Amino acid sequence: MNTVLSRANSLFAFSLSVMAALTFGCFITTAFKDRSVPVDIHVSKVMIKNVDDFTGPRERSDLGFVTFDIYANLQPIFDWNVKELFLYLTAEYSTKSNALNQVVLWDRIILRGDNTKLNLKDVKSKYFFFDDGNGLRANKNITLTLSWNVVPNAGILPLVMGSGHKSLAFPESYETAKSY
Amino acid sequence: MLSAFKSIPTDMDYKGQKLAEQIFQGVILVSAVIGFIYGLFVQQFGWTVYIMLAGFTVSCFLTLPPWPMYRRNPLKWQPAVPEASGENRDKPQESQKKKKHK
Repeated sequence: MNTVLSRANSLFAFSLSVMAALTFGCFITTAFKDRSVPVDIHVSKVMIKNVDDFTGPRERSDLGFVTFDIYANLQPIFDWNVKELFLYLTAEYSTKSNALNQVVLWDRIILRGDNTKLNLKDVKSKYFFFDDGNGLRANKNITLTLSWNVVPNAGILPLVMGSGHKSLAFPESYETAKSY
Repeated sequence: MLSAFKSIPTDMDYKGQKLAEQIFQGVILVSAVIGFIYGLFVQQFGWTVYIMLAGFTVSCFLTLPPWPMYRRNPLKWQPAVPEASGENRDKPQESQKKKKHK
């Protein structure tokens, strides 16, 4: 500690250790918080086509088109340890060939400071709703759920599912739209 | 230019070093506690970091330059031995060293 460099070294190392302890404190204050909020999903229109899926092995696969509304208030999730939320809408169903299918239809990133009240109407899916085969036609039970991945400043990144889901059925034949 | 920088005295005595260490540890810990509580209150971790950086800057200013308060207890050196007897002792040692080198 006799020279300036030696004092500067001690000072900087001590500051970094204290900063690490503060970050751990930030993590501890929010580690056990429940990050789920109620979510409201409505579906307005559903349609199926049977088209060539060039990424799959078979001749033709079912392609679904879903138009939906989402209402959710995500404000309670944001605290001092949350940097952003990665939202995604999943469709879950079972067919004769596969017991469980999960397809992501739409996603969105919400940064801290953005509008946290979701009030989206007539949203079309961002990604193709292809089935592995022809299992979507006349499928009675397809469940849509909204989940999110919480990206923190310090700590674990949990995947949380919103409470509230919507079940819908696809029409019996191709190219005919079904309105709800 | 560099020699001008090197000639500025930057040393402190031992009690001054202890005082400097206590000061910077105290300042940084206090600013850390204030920063944590304020950040928790406004729910923004950025404020905690800013207050910590302010504490760091204050303690840099207080402890890095050698202020006079760190030099109040200088070491008491022994008085210098006068030159005459010192030279007498040196000469036989030097001649011994020369013999070893051969």
